[in-house]
Amino acid sequence: MLFNSLTFVIFFIIILMLHNAPFSWRVKKSNLLVGSYIFYAAWNPPFVILLWLSTVVDWVVANKLYLETRQTRRRMLLFISILVNLGMLSYFKYGGFILENFQVMMATMGVDYQAPDWNIVLPVGISFYTFQTMAYSLDVYLKRAAPAKSFLDFALFVTFFPQLVAGPIVRPTQLIPQFKLPKVATRQQLTWGFALITLGLFNKIVIADGLLSNAAEKVFGASEMLHPVDAWLGTLAFSGQIFCDFAGYSTTAIGVALCLGFSLPDNFRFPYAAVGFSDFWRRWHISLSSWLRDYLYIPLGGNRKGNLRTYANLMTTMMLGGLWHGASWTFVVWGGLHGAFLAAERWLAVRFGGGRFWKRWGPRLLLALITYFLVNITWVFFRAQDFATAWRMIDTMLTLNMDGKKVLPTIDVLQVTGVTVAMLALHWFMRNRYLHDVAAALPRWLLAGAWGVMLWLIIITQGQSSAFIYFQF
Amino acid sequence: MSGSKAEAVFERPIPVLGRSALLALLIAVVLMVAWESWVRSEGVKPSYRNSDSQWVEQRRRINQGAGDGWVFTGSSRVLFNMQLSVWERLDQRRPVQLALEGTSPVTVLEGLADDEDFTGKVIVGVAPGLFFSGYELRRGAIDRYQNESPTQWFGNRVSMLAEPYLAFYANDFALPAILRRQSLPAREGVVFDLEVRKLSDMERDRNNRMWDRLVYDEAYRELARNIWAQNWMPLADLPPPVQEKLLESRMKQLDRAITATGKLQAKGAEVIFVQMPYEGHYAVSEIDIAPRDLTWDVLLEQTGALGLHFQDHEEMQGYWLPEWSHMTADEADRFTEAFYVLVQRELAARKAAGENP
Repeated sequence: MLFNSLTFVIFFIIILMLHNAPFSWRVKKSNLLVGSYIFYAAWNPPFVILLWLSTVVDWVVANKLYLETRQTRRRMLLFISILVNLGMLSYFKYGGFILENFQVMMATMGVDYQAPDWNIVLPVGISFYTFQTMAYSLDVYLKRAAPAKSFLDFALFVTFFPQLVAGPIVRPTQLIPQFKLPKVATRQQLTWGFALITLGLFNKIVIADGLLSNAAEKVFGASEMLHPVDAWLGTLAFSGQIFCDFAGYSTTAIGVALCLGFSLPDNFRFPYAAVGFSDFWRRWHISLSSWLRDYLYIPLGGNRKGNLRTYANLMTTMMLGGLWHGASWTFVVWGGLHGAFLAAERWLAVRFGGGRFWKRWGPRLLLALITYFLVNITWVFFRAQDFATAWRMIDTMLTLNMDGKKVLPTIDVLQVTGVTVAMLALHWFMRNRYLHDVAAALPRWLLAGAWGVMLWLIIITQGQSSAFIYFQF
Repeated sequence: MSGSKAEAVFERPIPVLGRSALLALLIAVVLMVAWESWVRSEGVKPSYRNSDSQWVEQRRRINQGAGDGWVFTGSSRVLFNMQLSVWERLDQRRPVQLALEGTSPVTVLEGLADDEDFTGKVIVGVAPGLFFSGYELRRGAIDRYQNESPTQWFGNRVSMLAEPYLAFYANDFALPAILRRQSLPAREGVVFDLEVRKLSDMERDRNNRMWDRLVYDEAYRELARNIWAQNWMPLADLPPPVQEKLLESRMKQLDRAITATGKLQAKGAEVIFVQMPYEGHYAVSEIDIAPRDLTWDVLLEQTGALGLHFQDHEEMQGYWLPEWSHMTADEADRFTEAFYVLVQRELAARKAAGENP
C-alpha cells in the first residue's frame, strides 16, 4: 500500500492503536509483523511468499554460518543466500533483459534465436528487501555481527513495513537490536514523527507529483528534438521530482517508524548542495551507497590495491549500482557516468585539491553548481526510456540548438524554475545543518504555520495516489 | 568510499516542538474550511469522483447478478444522457452504467463478449471521433477491472465515504488543475490545451448529471465549447502519416467491434448501437473524422445489430446541448424516457420481423 493513500491512513491508525495497547512486547512485535505482511500483500498477495522465502533462507543460512568454522562450508552457505536472493531478483527483474540481450548476442553471431515473452510482474520493492536480507548473511559471514536470537525479530527486520519497499535499506545491526526491548514512541517522538510524515508527503504529493511530474513527462515523452530551454527544464523537473519523490518516501518512512518508537537512519542529506560526486553519494540514497561500499566496493579491494584498480572498482560498483535501479543499459550508463565522475574527482583531487582556495565559499559554490550540472546530465540517462531519447536530449542541452520544438507551457516553466531555485537555495542553506536543529530553532508560530500550510497543500493537491518512483526498482 | 564496520543503531535526535502540532492542525483545519467554502461558492456541490475503482465496482455488478440486465457503455454522451433512475422507473431494473468519458467503448464491449456472466442487453454509444479512433482516455479504469489491488479496492471504499460530503474533493479543484488554468502569457510556439473543466456531478452508482453551472453561466458554457473546439483540424489538413494512422484505426476499431458484437449475439445478448445528438463544432468534426457511410453504416450492416442514430429518429432530436455534446440533467431525463420507448418499439419491431441475428 502507498503512504499517500487513504488505505495507509486507516492501516496506520490501526497499527498505532495496537502498538500503544496494553499487550506484551512479543504480541506487539507480532502485530507489527502481521501488519507488515498485510502492508505488502495489499499490492499483490502471492508475492508475500517471496518475503517468506528470503526470510527463511537467510535465517537458516546465517545460523549455520555462525556455527560453521570450515571456510569451504561457510562459502557454500553464503553462496546459497546470494543465489536465492539474487536468483529471485534476476528472475523477476532481469529475466527479460537477459533474454533480450542474449537474443541480440545470438543475432550478431548469425543465430536466429527468438526469446520467449517475459511478461512477469515485478514484485514491489524486491531490490530493497533482497539487499537487506543479503546484508544479514554477509554480516554474519564477514563476522561483523552475530545472528539474531529471535526468529520473530529477524522476520520483522526483513519485513518492517515503513522501509520494506523503498528503503532506507537498513542494516541488521541498526534495526534488530531495537526489537529487543519494548518500544513505544514518546510524545516528542510522535510529534516529530508526524512532522516528518507531513514533510515527506508534501515532497511527494505537492512538489514531485503536483508541480514537477507533468513537465518531466512531457519532455521525456517527446519524440522529436526539443528546444534547449524545454530539454533543460524537463531535466531539472525530473531532477527535482526524483529527489522529492524518493526523499519524500524516505522521510515518511522515518517518520512512520518514529511514531512507533523506532529509529531509522537518514537516507538523504540535501544532495543538490553536494560539492563533488563523493559528497553527492554521501548525501544521496545513503543506505544504498553505503551498502555498495561495504558489500561490493571494499570486497573488490576498494582503494587498497593501487590507483588503476581503485578506478576499476569504482566503475564496477557504480555500474552495478546503476543496474540495480533497473534492467536497462540506460541505467548502466547512468551508473557508469557516476563512476567516471567519481574517478575523475579522485584524480583531480590528488593533483589540484590542496590549498586554501577550494575551501573558500565562492569556489565551493561553483563546484556545487558544476556537480549539480553533471548530476543533471546523468539524470537524462536515468529517465530516458531509450538511448535515442537520451542522446537527443543531451544533444540539445549541450549544443543549445534553438531549432527544436517547444512543448512546455508558461505554467510549467514557472513551476519548474520556481521549485528548482527554491530547492537549490534550501539545499545550500541546509548543507551543514540538521533538520531537527532548524526545526527546534524556528519560532513556534513559524514552524506551526509552515506545517499547517503543508498539510493543507497536501490535502488540496489531492493526487491520484501515484506510486513512488523507487517502487519499480 | 571507505569503512567496513557493522553499522550501529542510529539514535535519531528529537527536537522539542511543544504544541506546534496542535497549532499546525488548527491552521490546516481553518485553511481547509476556507477552501471548502470557496469551492462551494463556485457552485460546486459534493459528488462522487468518477474514479477508476468506482467504474470497476459497477463492472463487477455484472458478475454479481446484474449480467442479464441492461448495460450502458460508450463515452461521455451515454454517461450524461442516459439517466439510470428514469430507465429504472420504466424497466423496473436499474441498468449498469459503464460509459467512460473520452473513451472508445470497444474494449469494454470485448470484455462483455468474453464474460460468461453477461447475457443481457448492451447499449453502446458511438461517438464517432472516439469510437472509430480507438482513443481511450480512461483505459486505466478498464485495466483496473483485471488488476485492481486490495489496497486500491479498500482505498476507494474509504474515499467514497468522504466524497459525498466534500465539495473540494473534485478533480477540477485539485491545486495543480487550478494552477494550470491560470491566465498566463502564452509561450510562443507552444500548443497548450486547456483541460476539460467540471461538467457534471456523479452519483454513487455512476449515474451522471450535468453540472447546473452550464445551464446558468453563459461564460462557463462558452469556455466548455471553446475547450471542445481548441486546436481542432480537419482530417485533410493533418500530416499524411497521422491521416493514415487514423484511417488504419478506423478499420481496426470496426473489425474489433464487429467481432465482439458477433460473440455477444452468439450467446444471446442484445447489442444496440446508438449515436447520441451533437451539434455546433461536433456537427463538423464528427462527420469529418468518421463519415457515416464509411463507419456507422458499415458497423450496422456487418453486425446486423439494431442502430439508433439521432438523425433518423425524432425521439432523439430537439434536446438542449449547452456545450454541443451533452444534455442538461432535465433534458437527459426527458431523453431517457423517450429513448426507452424508442428502444422497446424498435426491438419489438425487429422481433416481429424476425430480424434478430
